[in-house]
Amino acid sequence: MIYSPTIISIIEVLSVTIPVLLAVAFVTVAERKTMASMQRRLGPNIVGYYGLLQAFADALKLLLKEYISPTQANVMLFFLGPIITLIFSLLGYAVIPYGPGLTLWDFDLGILFMLAVSSIATYGSLRSTAQLISYELILSSAILLVILLTGSLSLTVNIEAQRAIWFLLPLLPVLAIFFIGSVAETNRAPFDLAEAESELVSGFMTEHAAVIFVFFFLAEYASILLICILNTILFIGGYLIDYSLAVYIANSILYVLNELFIFDSPSLLWLLDRLNFNELSYITLEGIIYGLTIGIKSSAMVFIFIWVRASFPRIRFDQLMSYS
Amino acid sequence: MTSQTFFFIFIPILAIILLALNLILAPHNPYQEKDSAFECGFHSFLGQNRSEFSISFFIFALLFLLFDLEILLVYPYIVSAYVNGIFGLIIMLLFFLVLTLGFAFELGKNALSIESRQVHYIK
Repeated sequence: MIYSPTIISIIEVLSVTIPVLLAVAFVTVAERKTMASMQRRLGPNIVGYYGLLQAFADALKLLLKEYISPTQANVMLFFLGPIITLIFSLLGYAVIPYGPGLTLWDFDLGILFMLAVSSIATYGSLRSTAQLISYELILSSAILLVILLTGSLSLTVNIEAQRAIWFLLPLLPVLAIFFIGSVAETNRAPFDLAEAESELVSGFMTEHAAVIFVFFFLAEYASILLICILNTILFIGGYLIDYSLAVYIANSILYVLNELFIFDSPSLLWLLDRLNFNELSYITLEGIIYGLTIGIKSSAMVFIFIWVRASFPRIRFDQLMSYS
Repeated sequence: MTSQTFFFIFIPILAIILLALNLILAPHNPYQEKDSAFECGFHSFLGQNRSEFSISFFIFALLFLLFDLEILLVYPYIVSAYVNGIFGLIIMLLFFLVLTLGFAFELGKNALSIESRQVHYIK
């Protein structure tokens, strides 16, 4: 096998990008199913098992649809806008640490990079620009406090600083402010004034058809996922999980079973010897646990985003502005 | 090529591939009604889009953009807060004092009010 850094980096990039796109697709399905359950409907349940493949069906359908370029639009800008939105919302995934040092780009200024990218990714019309800039201020001043505690702009350092305690506890009010800010930043209900359905007919993306619309859709959900992960990293401890209690419980159960004469046969004893749970510091197993942890935490954040959308009525624009 | 370089090249390529797929696979037979601008029940006529917008949104965005930049100016202090000590703190407080004065001026000028078109019956 040819060992070349380029091939390695290609594999790395693919192993980040493809799961990200899959996750974004499943976030859309999850949102529709969760909203449906909260409103006592069924939601998508035909395509695949329990409607799991609905997102792929939609994407394929939109890929085969006719594209429309209105005569009164700037064609270049009309096609470039969604592409730029998509690109910038996906670029943010470069700096996320999925484990200690397990990132595409271990960037010292990761938080600044995330802020810049996530704000560009959601610019829509003038209306939403005014909204975004004012809420961006809230986001960056909430992050300011976290950085004051950790003293670094690197995301990995921010997570490692939470080994003692997750910032969820000492900075709970800041988490609330940051969460509201991030809901507003990603144009979600109850702050989705840029695409208020009944009033503006989906806002700035009305005339975008086919794959151009897919770009907007993907970009929106990718930035939701990105900002959920940012929430997780800054406040809920990112990939950190304290499994020492689980190890202790498992070991004591094994000890009790051992004492209770169950394991007489030598093969089982040998298996137990191999299964010593103190060896959880195996680097592979630890990596898997870290990855699963950040996944579960950010899924919980996504669920809260959907929950907020299902619960609150939309607010008026001047209310939104005076609120900020 | 490092992986971040490849990532930054790969994402635009991905978007362009998707766009090209759509251009190749999809039918395309436009006519006048389809290509005209979206309008509820009317024929749209030339010059109807690119209309004027409310200037208060623009002012709002402009003012908050400045505030955003000023928050970014505080970031270097925050990162090195432990090293800078009391001197840095005093300087930053002075900076915030100037900021607050400017904000009070904006509030006094009524620059930050987007007027509601709804009538307030209940006060």
